[in-house]
Amino acid sequence: MDQSWLSVFPDTLRRLLAKLPESLFAELEEIRIREGRPFEVNAGGRHQFLTPDGEMTSVPSRAYHPDKQDTGRLLDLLTNHSLYTMEEELRKGFITLPGGHRVGLSGRTVLAGGRVEHLRDISGFNIRLARELKGIGDPLLPYLLDFRHQTVLHTLILSPPQQGKTTLVRDLVRLISGGSWRHPEARWPGKKVAVIDERSEIAGSKFGVPSFDLGPRTDVMDGCPKSEGMMMMIRSMSPEVLVVDEIGRPEDAEALTEALHAGVRVIATAHGTDVEDLESRPVLSKLIGASFFQRYIVLYRRENQLLFSVRDEQRRRILGIEEKEGRQRA
Amino acid sequence: MLKLLGAALIISAATAAGWFQAKQYANRPVQIRKLILALRRLQTEIQYGYTPLPEALLRVGEQSGDPIRPIFASAASQMNAPFNYTAKDSLQRALDQEWKGTAMKTAEKDIMSQLSHTLGTSDRQDQFGHLATAVRQLENEEIVAREEQGSYEKMFKSLGLLFGAFIVIILY
Repeated sequence: MDQSWLSVFPDTLRRLLAKLPESLFAELEEIRIREGRPFEVNAGGRHQFLTPDGEMTSVPSRAYHPDKQDTGRLLDLLTNHSLYTMEEELRKGFITLPGGHRVGLSGRTVLAGGRVEHLRDISGFNIRLARELKGIGDPLLPYLLDFRHQTVLHTLILSPPQQGKTTLVRDLVRLISGGSWRHPEARWPGKKVAVIDERSEIAGSKFGVPSFDLGPRTDVMDGCPKSEGMMMMIRSMSPEVLVVDEIGRPEDAEALTEALHAGVRVIATAHGTDVEDLESRPVLSKLIGASFFQRYIVLYRRENQLLFSVRDEQRRRILGIEEKEGRQRA
Repeated sequence: MLKLLGAALIISAATAAGWFQAKQYANRPVQIRKLILALRRLQTEIQYGYTPLPEALLRVGEQSGDPIRPIFASAASQMNAPFNYTAKDSLQRALDQEWKGTAMKTAEKDIMSQLSHTLGTSDRQDQFGHLATAVRQLENEEIVAREEQGSYEKMFKSLGLLFGAFIVIILY
């Protein structure tokens, strides 16, 4: 794995991480630093603390406790010594690093007119390492194909956080854009894909250029509010497939309806554990009621495997997790 | 003959030393002015350009010329890989390494050193304030430096020659 993200850590923390066994290091997903509290890492789905000797422990008191100097240095390095360039990021609560890794922040907010104006006294960091798992979308894509129109179906992907939603969407974008349909009868070329990457997670763009392989025919609108971004893309980039992360606001539904009328196929994700969950959520229930989506995918993660179930527009189960398991995670 | 040659050597060396000292007094206010202008440019880069600090320092350094450039360039390079020092450490180290090459004194160095504690660590408005404070302090130093230039520059120029002559007379 690319290890450039290690350079954002101050020496003390970097040395601890370097002491991790290689197998564990390769599985790192989250690194959590909280000032004055135990240093925590999450590798392969398991949360553990790191001792000053670089060993794993489940006893918080034995763990290394990062001090104010550690967090100060970490923030300085994370922001490229320029906190002032990150005002918008701080308002949103996260910073994107080269390579698409994301750092969530917590601290004390400064309010102006009831809205968060700035984040100060930042003391909590959650470094989420982005993974590019090529091929993870292979078993799923055949269920999303629209053979009559030679394109993909309107799809909603559901899962709780941390289950690999973004990783899956990223791979689907790459496959659709490259025309690798993973089905013997699907023999049409790749589609023009537009990704609205509000939180810079799907593409991990740095200076507007994606860090991940998103296929040859993909355009990315980075850091753009979803509803606005969808409209901009439809108007200006003539996409055939539109990909958005985490829909849920009223204006998102409006933009999705617009996309539908424009003849653009949509692949969207949302937080949730099952399709029934969505009925209690105003915007999403409206979209379901209007039979907007033709496929619903629910993701699960068991051990190190990514599993999914597929439902059609009537929400009938086409494929359950019992029947077929997704490809094993790398 | 040899004596005469030695005397000429002593006088020219002493004169050169005097000139050098005078030159330092003449250079100091000029360099302080350059530093002030550089900080103002940095203010603009931060306030309106949202330029990240290492890049802003490099750019401003290039525009400002010697002796500001080596200081800013050294600070910028130490912020980047492979050093990855913090903004504060980088600037402090750059000041320690490169300050000898300037005609400026410790008062100006202290102002820059104070600035290093806050540079890059807060929002734009705050940065603007800190830079403005440093500029104001430097302007005060510039006035002092100009006064010193007025009183000492000429003096050191002639003092060098006179001191050389004095030694020659004693030795002769």
